[in-house]
Amino acid sequence: MQRVLTGAAVRGRAREGARPVRAPRVRIDGVSLTRALLWAACLALVLVPLGTILVLAAGGNHLATILQGDVVEAAINSLVSATLSAAGAVIVGGGLAVLLDRTDLPGRRVLRLFALSPLLVPPFVGAIAWIGIAGPTSPVNLWWRDLFGAPLGTIYGGHGVVFLLVVHSYPIAMLVVSAALRRVPADLEHAARIGGASAVRALGTVTVPLLRPALVSSFTLIAVSNLADFGIPSIVGLPERYVTLSTLVYRYIQSGTVDRPLEVVATIGAVLLVIALGALVLDLLASRRRWELDSSASTPQRLPLGRSRLLVAVLAWAFVLTLTLLPLLALLSQSLLPAPGVPLAIENLTLDNVVRAVTAKGTATGATTSVLLAVLAGLVCGVLGLGIGTLVTRTRARDNGLLRAVAILPQAVPGLVIAVAWLVLAPRIGLFNTPWLILCAYITSFVALVVQAVAAPLAATPLTVEEAARASGASRFRALLDVSFRMAVPAALSGTVLVALTAVRELTLSVLLLSPGAQTLGVTIFNLQQAGAYNAASALSLLITLIGLAGLGLAARSSR
Amino acid sequence: MASVSLDSVSLRYPSGAMGLADIDLRVGDGEFVALLGPSGSGKTTLLRTVAGFLAPTAGVVRIGPDVVADGKTVVPPESRGLGMVFQQHAVWPHWNVGRNVEYPLRRAGMPRAQRAARVAEVLDLVGLDGYARRDPATLSGGQRQRVALARAIVGEPRVLLLDEALSALDEPLRDRLRIELQALTRRMGLTVLHVTHDRDEALALADRVVVLDGGRIQQVATPAELVERPATALVARFVSDATRVIGSRDASGFAADGHPLRLPASGLQGAREHGACEIAILPGDVEIEPTRAESGSAATATVVSSLFGRDGNDVLLDWAGMTVRCHSRTQRPAVGARVDVAVRRAVAYAAAR
Repeated sequence: MQRVLTGAAVRGRAREGARPVRAPRVRIDGVSLTRALLWAACLALVLVPLGTILVLAAGGNHLATILQGDVVEAAINSLVSATLSAAGAVIVGGGLAVLLDRTDLPGRRVLRLFALSPLLVPPFVGAIAWIGIAGPTSPVNLWWRDLFGAPLGTIYGGHGVVFLLVVHSYPIAMLVVSAALRRVPADLEHAARIGGASAVRALGTVTVPLLRPALVSSFTLIAVSNLADFGIPSIVGLPERYVTLSTLVYRYIQSGTVDRPLEVVATIGAVLLVIALGALVLDLLASRRRWELDSSASTPQRLPLGRSRLLVAVLAWAFVLTLTLLPLLALLSQSLLPAPGVPLAIENLTLDNVVRAVTAKGTATGATTSVLLAVLAGLVCGVLGLGIGTLVTRTRARDNGLLRAVAILPQAVPGLVIAVAWLVLAPRIGLFNTPWLILCAYITSFVALVVQAVAAPLAATPLTVEEAARASGASRFRALLDVSFRMAVPAALSGTVLVALTAVRELTLSVLLLSPGAQTLGVTIFNLQQAGAYNAASALSLLITLIGLAGLGLAARSSR
Repeated sequence: MASVSLDSVSLRYPSGAMGLADIDLRVGDGEFVALLGPSGSGKTTLLRTVAGFLAPTAGVVRIGPDVVADGKTVVPPESRGLGMVFQQHAVWPHWNVGRNVEYPLRRAGMPRAQRAARVAEVLDLVGLDGYARRDPATLSGGQRQRVALARAIVGEPRVLLLDEALSALDEPLRDRLRIELQALTRRMGLTVLHVTHDRDEALALADRVVVLDGGRIQQVATPAELVERPATALVARFVSDATRVIGSRDASGFAADGHPLRLPASGLQGAREHGACEIAILPGDVEIEPTRAESGSAATATVVSSLFGRDGNDVLLDWAGMTVRCHSRTQRPAVGARVDVAVRRAVAYAAAR
C-alpha cells in the first residue's frame, strides 16, 4: 500500500513537472529560479544592448545623415563584399566538401585539415600575411616591377577584401556542407545507380540537390558575419580608399568627423541589425521545407576520379596549400626580415622583429589584457552556456525555444553592431573607458558558441534519463544538477576553451571599444601594422597564430 | 528476365577481412532466391556484389549471358539492368512519387508520353494508383516501400534485388507486403534475389534458400528440404533452433559425451559412419510430459522458459546441464517445473574437424 501511494505521488509530480506553465500556480523551486536567472542574464547581455541601439536610432532620426554619400558608399561596399564573398565561400567550401567527402582524392584527410586551417587564423592576421604575398613590396611584385616597371597588381582594394573574406569564411561553408553530405543516406545514390545513373550523375541529381538547404544557410551565415568584419577591410581596403561600414564607424568614433557620433553610429548599427535579422528570417523561410532523411548503415560510394585523379589531386593540393600554407610562410619570412622589400636571403634573416615585438611594452600589456578578458569571457560564457544549453534541451517548458533563440541571436548579428550597442550603453552603466566593456561585448558575442556546443549533443539523448532520476526520488532541481548538468559539462568545457581562444585573438569588438589601458593583443598588432611596423606586426601575428593553433589542437585532443 | 550465376566468387576487403569465400551459385530465370544468414554472414555483401557496388577480388559474376565482374573488370551498377529495393526505402525526398518512379525510364531515354503511361501502370500494380503527384514526406512507411518497389520494377529489370526490403516495416504490414510481393513477382516472372535475416520470411517467399555463414554458402535448398534435411548442424541450429550434441556412434546408436542422452540407431538419420559425430535435434522432435518419477531420473529436465505460440509452445529445458529447445503442441509447463524428455529423432553429421 505504501509503495502504491509513493508511486502515485511520483507520477503526479512528474506530470506537474512536465507542464509547469499549465500548473495552477508556478511552483518556486531551483529549476524555475535557474531559469529566471538565465533569462535575466540574456536580458542584460543580449536584449538590452540590441534594444538600446534600436531605441537610440529611432529617437535620434539620423537617417538623413546616414543617407549621404559616405555612408551610402560604405554600405554598398559592405553589402557587395559580403554577398560576393559569401557566394565565393559557398562555391569553394561546397566544392571542397564534395571533393574531400565523396571522391577518392589522394591524401584527402590531410588536405581536409589544411583546408580547415584558415578558421583558426584571425582574419586580420590573414590580411597581414597576404600583404606579404601580394602587397606592393612582395617578392612577386618587386620582380614584376623590375621587368616591366610597374607592379603586377596588389591585394589592396575591394577585390582584395572580397578575396580575403572568401579565404577566411570558406571553411565554415565546408563544415556545414560536409555535415549535410554525411546526413544524405548512401542508399539514395545507390538507388540512382541501379536506376541507370552514372556515379557523377547520381551525385549531381540526387545528392547535390539535397544539399540546397545547407548551401543556403551557410551563405546567409557567412554573408551576415562578413557584413561587418573590421580587420580585413581596414588593412587591405583602406589603403585604396575602399571604405566599408565597419571602417567608417571606426573613423566616426575615433575622430569625431560627425556631430553626435554615437547616435549616427547607432543608426548604422540599427540598419545593419535589421538587415541581419531580415537575412535570418529569409533563411528560416527558405529552409522551412527540410527533407526528412533516414539514417543509413551503408557507407557512401566514393566517386572514382579515374584517369584525372592525379590532375585533380595536384590542382586541389596546390589550391588549398596556396590559400593556407603560403600565407603562414609569408608571415614567417616577413617576421625574419628587417623591412619589407628586403630580399629573402640567409644573411638578411634576423630575429630582431620577434624580439622587438615580444618585448615591446604594448605587447605585454596587450597580452595580459587579452588573456584576462578571454579567460573571464570563457568562464562566464561556459557557465551561461551550460545553464541555457542544458535547460532548453533537458526540460520541458514553453519558453525554451525563445530562450535558446535569444541566446544564439548574437551569432547572427554583426560584431560591429554588438560593439556599438555596448558603446552606447557604456556611460549609462558606468563602464565607459574600462576593459569590462570589452568583456561584456565578448560575452554577448560568444555565449552562443557554448549554448550550441552544449545543446547539440544533449538534444539527442532521450528525456528518460532525467525521468529515471525523478522516479528514483530526485526533485526536479536535483535531477537537473545530478544528471543533466553532469552530462553537459564536457561539452561546456570545450565550449569554454573555444570562447577563450576566439576572444584572445579578437579585433573587431576590441578596436571599437578601445579604452586607455585596455588594449588587447589584436589591437596591438593592428596598431603596429597601422604605424608601419609591418615586420613586427607579422612576427606577433605569427606567434599568436601558432599559439592559437597549438591551443585549439590541444583542446580538440582533450575533448576526444 | 535473366539468370544470375556466380563462379568461385571471393571478396576480400582491403582490411584483409574475407567478405565472400568461394561462392558458387546459380539463380535460374524467374526464380525467387532468398539469401539467409546471421548478421556478418556475407548475405548483403553477396547482394551488393551482384548489384555492382562491390567488386569481387576473384571469380566471375554473370547476369544473363553477360559477364559483369571477373576479378579484373567490373561493369558499373547503372549498366547492369537491375532493380533494387533498400531497407530504408531510399525514396528521393526532393522529388514527388511520379518523378521518383520514372527515374530509371528517364535514364533509359524513354520518351515522356510513354514514361507517364508506364509510371501510372506500375503505380497501379503496387496499389498506389493516383499517387504520382504526392510528396514522399506525406506517405506512410508501407507506401514509401511500395514507391521504392515501383521504382525498382518500372524499367523491367533483368534481376530484382531486395536488400532487407521488408525489415524496416512493422509486423502486420510486413506480412501483407510479403503476400503482395510474392503475387507481383510471380505474375511478372521476375528473377529475385532477396536478402533477409528473418528465417520465416525466407522460407515463406523463396523457391530456394541460400544459407550463408562466415562468407561461405552452407546450404542451398528448397524451404522444405532446409527444414527437414539441414546440411550441417550449424544450418539446423540457425534455421530451426536445433540443439547440437557432440558424442559418438556405434552399432547400437548414439551416445552423448558426458550426458545421459542416448538414441537408438533407428532414430538417427544422416551420416552412418561409426565413431565421433555430432547430432542436431530439431525442437519438434523433442517430446516432454510432466514427470512421474519421484526422484530425478536420467531423462528429467527443468523448464527454463516456456513461450506460447499459435501452433505450439516453445519450451527451453535444462537437461543435466545441456540446454535443449523443444516445440510442443500439447504441453506448456510452468517455468521451474520438472518434465520427462524423450528425443524422437535426430540428424547425425560427421564430427566437425
